[in-house]
Amino acid sequence: MRIAWPAPIPARAALPFAAAVVALALAPLVLDVYTLNLFTLAFLMISGALAWNWMGGYVGQVSFGHAALFGVGGFVAARLLLATPLPAPITWIAGGLAAGVFALGAHPTLRLRGPYFSIATIGVGEAARLVFTYWEGFTGGASGLSLPIVDGGKEALYFWGLALAVLVVFASWALRRSTLGLQLLAIKADVDAASDVGVSATFYQDLVFFLSGSVVGVTGGLYASYFSFIEPNDMFGFDRSISFVLMCVIGGIGTVLGPVLGAVVFVLLRQFLLASYPQLYLGLYGVLLIVIILFEPLGLTGLYLRLWRRLGGRGRLGPPPEPLAASTARPTAAAAGGEEGR
Amino acid sequence: MARFIDLAVSAVLLAGLYATMAYGLGLIYGVLRVVNLAHGGVIMMGAYLGWILHQRLGLDPYLSIPIVVVVSFGFGALLYRVLVRHLPRGAAGGPASLLLLFGVWLVLRNAAYLAFSGNDQVIRTSYSTQAIPLLGSFVSVNRLAVLGIAIVIPVALHLLLRRTYLGKAIRAIAQNADSCTLVGVDVERIYTVTFGIGTALAGVAGLLSATLFAFNPAFGAGELLKSFVVVVLGGLGSVVGTGIAALILAVVEVFAILVMPSYLTSAVGFVMLVLVLVLRPGGLFGQRVLG
Repeated sequence: MRIAWPAPIPARAALPFAAAVVALALAPLVLDVYTLNLFTLAFLMISGALAWNWMGGYVGQVSFGHAALFGVGGFVAARLLLATPLPAPITWIAGGLAAGVFALGAHPTLRLRGPYFSIATIGVGEAARLVFTYWEGFTGGASGLSLPIVDGGKEALYFWGLALAVLVVFASWALRRSTLGLQLLAIKADVDAASDVGVSATFYQDLVFFLSGSVVGVTGGLYASYFSFIEPNDMFGFDRSISFVLMCVIGGIGTVLGPVLGAVVFVLLRQFLLASYPQLYLGLYGVLLIVIILFEPLGLTGLYLRLWRRLGGRGRLGPPPEPLAASTARPTAAAAGGEEGR
Repeated sequence: MARFIDLAVSAVLLAGLYATMAYGLGLIYGVLRVVNLAHGGVIMMGAYLGWILHQRLGLDPYLSIPIVVVVSFGFGALLYRVLVRHLPRGAAGGPASLLLLFGVWLVLRNAAYLAFSGNDQVIRTSYSTQAIPLLGSFVSVNRLAVLGIAIVIPVALHLLLRRTYLGKAIRAIAQNADSCTLVGVDVERIYTVTFGIGTALAGVAGLLSATLFAFNPAFGAGELLKSFVVVVLGGLGSVVGTGIAALILAVVEVFAILVMPSYLTSAVGFVMLVLVLVLRPGGLFGQRVLG
């Protein structure tokens, strides 16, 4: 297996990114606690969404069961934190590894593709939720687990969250640009053709599923530390699995920027809706899904690209539609073509 | 032994319900190659429709079957015309159609929360608690009626697919849509009708389950997954295969009570789903196309 390292980061992408990171690192000096809490939550969701995107966007295996990985990571980290004197970051990593191993346990489902894989992940996710809710010795059952509250813990977690998000953004970019990213794209486009040219779908999917699971698990660990209370029905809930899917769909599946934008929008929207219209938030997610899939399958990223081209900006954006993104379904083409064969 | 017979009888009765749920999902997938994730939402809708008709108009749930059929058929046809028609099909359209229909489900659930709140409801009739002796155990009248209907439906579906022009067209399109266009079958119309029939079956299944179980707006998620198990296990569109698969699922679920805490029995369906997908993705009887 030869993996070429990604090309150096182009300055026009690196500079705004570095500026944003510096600004966010200095933000606690000026912002109030409420806003900082939202930011921390956004960092965690960005990391989770990007990790989901490695499976859902890069490999094209849409998972409706990532909550299981989030939950395993969170509960393993919480249990270690309660039972051992280990420092929190070690427990997060341990939680992440446990989630990664759990993801490898789902290896047999990776033989499935498309809707079959998605449906199987619903099964795995729901089964995990039931089993872990039932397993009171480990998860505390329906009443959950409380973690000791550390003085200044939330402030520290802001920076840990930021660090994790930066790391995952960088990893997403590297994964996308390396040979590995191309191999994943090949698997997404056509499994059989990919294996004909020596790209083993089994190996790469396992690898990406492990990485994706680990990162989602670490995110779950940070989430547990941050809220100091976790409960299996929330951590393993189907709504959480959907949230990963939604963030990526809103922002643009298969891109690097998309899930970041999607996660930010998702966190803000959720906060606003829960405060003002708690009875509408499920339906609004539904409407968002429908509208985005019908009109702009690439979400916010697609909207941005469309605007950019409308304004005549072509050359500076590099190869316009990102190749990974372009191979996601384009309903508009189907609608224009009328009757669609299969 | 008495307990064994009790469980066996309730497994058979449950199987009828599972089969009814699964036919709709299988029909739509077999013809349109779209996994209708809104299936669970329509099951929930059928349950509430029956409940409303019973509550407001005092209509017996079994008499309201035609109304539920018409309404959910209309809903399905509309869903196809307005949304599903614009999606790419087959392997390429997998995630897109899944996500879109999932969105439809979320909207349905939210609508039900707004209209009926999240409380558990059940359709309670004068004969809800009556039971008749059968094979040495007592069987609720309701469950027998549900089983009866669950036997009538596949027979009707089989006759429709085998004996009518519509059925012939549906089966032909499942085999090759392009050739159908060539010989003058109005493919779009047949798709609309098929989607309608599929959702109508889901609506009826929802109504039937509402007479047996409590339901709320989140109802239907487990039912969707069970339908999927049955469809995959039974092979697409095979009416007999679906029946047998439903029986297998029901037996495994019901008898799981003997070996594990009742709370975990609902996980059995999910585990079976994964096992079936991984071990026998082509179904128990090999893949057959509608017939």
